[in-house]
Amino acid sequence: MNKIVISSVVTALLVLSGCSSKEPVVDAPVEEAVKAPVQEVAAVKTETVSDANTEVLGENGMIDSDSNEMNMANLEKDMQTVYFDFDKFDIRSDMQEKVSNDAKLAKGAASAFTIKLQGNCDEWGSDEYNFALGLKRANAVKKALVAEGVDASRVTMVSYGESNPVCTDKTKECWSQNRRVDFKLLP
Amino acid sequence: MKILFALMLVISMSFASDATIEVIKKVESLPTIAVEDSSISYDDTFKMKFFKSLIADLNVLSLFNVDRHYLQTHFNDTDVLVENKDMNYVLRYKMYEDDNGALNVELKLIKDNADVLVKSYRIAKQDVYMFVSHAIAYDINEFMGAPSIEWIKRKVIFSRIVESKKSELIIADYTLSYQHVAVSGGFNVFPKWANKQQDAFYYTSLDDEKPTLKYVALNEGTSKSIIASDGMMICSDVSDDSKSLLLTMSPNGQPDIYLFDIDSKKYKKITSYGGIDVNAQFMNKDTIVFISDRLGYPNVFSKKIGSSTVDQMVYYGQSNAACSAHGEYIVYKARESSNAFSNNTFNLHLISTKTDFIRRLTATGVNEFPRFSKDGDAILFIKNYKSQSSLGIIRLNHNKNYLFPLKHGKIQALDW
Repeated sequence: MNKIVISSVVTALLVLSGCSSKEPVVDAPVEEAVKAPVQEVAAVKTETVSDANTEVLGENGMIDSDSNEMNMANLEKDMQTVYFDFDKFDIRSDMQEKVSNDAKLAKGAASAFTIKLQGNCDEWGSDEYNFALGLKRANAVKKALVAEGVDASRVTMVSYGESNPVCTDKTKECWSQNRRVDFKLLP
Repeated sequence: MKILFALMLVISMSFASDATIEVIKKVESLPTIAVEDSSISYDDTFKMKFFKSLIADLNVLSLFNVDRHYLQTHFNDTDVLVENKDMNYVLRYKMYEDDNGALNVELKLIKDNADVLVKSYRIAKQDVYMFVSHAIAYDINEFMGAPSIEWIKRKVIFSRIVESKKSELIIADYTLSYQHVAVSGGFNVFPKWANKQQDAFYYTSLDDEKPTLKYVALNEGTSKSIIASDGMMICSDVSDDSKSLLLTMSPNGQPDIYLFDIDSKKYKKITSYGGIDVNAQFMNKDTIVFISDRLGYPNVFSKKIGSSTVDQMVYYGQSNAACSAHGEYIVYKARESSNAFSNNTFNLHLISTKTDFIRRLTATGVNEFPRFSKDGDAILFIKNYKSQSSLGIIRLNHNKNYLFPLKHGKIQALDW
């Protein structure tokens, strides 16, 4: 469960006294940035990060090392990540073989598990559109799996947008590794 | 001659209120202001913190040329300090701690050796001093007769990615000086204030079996699940009366926009295009703007709720993947280069639905997640530039941007 830290929000507990005199309004002309005081302003204390306990439940808690779970973890490793082109969500021809392999596993050794497809994007945008792109990628893989005989009801999806990168360098190789759909097995 | 003059007057008046028109020429230089500290309580570190906060706020007002020298004097001295004798305005304040430990601030604005504005403030805790500073700026803005800046007193809520699939939801002031972690642990994104009072918010939890919209009431300290969807679940906007939500959901793997009624818990599908429809924002009660890839690339469209007609709103930019609306104005994010393999620039642009003008609002880096203030006076956005994530604020009528950097992590989404 998420730890909900409820803020005793500062509802501007300000007691204001009245102002009396009304000065002639000084013209407030618009102007371009003159000496960019912005950066200096930034010297204002910008952060008070609490050391709040960020402990959450462990990664779906591998508590029991029971054989079924071990089996699941091993199978998960065998399932191959599918990669995508920039701003695209159709499955590339060089990825077809991987998808077929994943479908085989899904129908065979992993047939007892639910498959969660996790759609991911590169770093170009944290907005909803990027999340939707990740989802469309997951959906493309789902359709391909279903076309190869995997039961659609066994497949769930989630998009993580750009928030789950495997690589954080600023290179095109790195970005291409992040445009992907990962497989996660659930009991 | 009179007719010509009248004509020019009419023309200039007709353009005066259009925010898409960028005013480049400086008509008149801004009045100068200096700040004098007369505080008796508190140590030097805190005095300096408060001073810096006040200077930052006065800068953001965009009404003054702000002198940034820290000078101290006695509150009741009749003359301003000799260093400040040529200033148009001098803002003098005195901070003191009362018996209850509350922070009190007395303030006067001096012009031509006369006190033209006198006020006092009190806040229960010293560590939220920045809200006093914002309140002072608000009052000075009012005093100067500038359009109201209610937003300066509002709180910002944002999600910060701390590592892969881990984030925090943080409540802050607009300068990020005050930060309070409201939800920590887990993977939570897209926070959105639930009402104007800012005492509750929605967010998306990605830790559950399906992406789930959750609701947190701050005063009660409670959290509950509202609705879940496979694939995607985001609250994009909340109606003015807080009764309806615009959601992006994908129950069948297809991201579409839905209108959700808080009381009945029923939802209605608003878009049904086979590609991507996301990021819906109320333009008014009956009309939304949203992002769709129905032309093969993301762009801004509008639609009347219940109608099947969709209008393209933006004709500039190759990839316009986010937007926010306020009345006739739409601010959107546009990719300025189509190169998939170099550092892209994303800038914010402002359009009016009533004119053809487009105004570029930012110049460098990746600028995204624009959000209008409730009064439309300012736009808050996220700037990512050279591995630094900042909160930016655009003063539309002053043609100025201010940045407040985040020390670590990356801002994912925000609302205010």
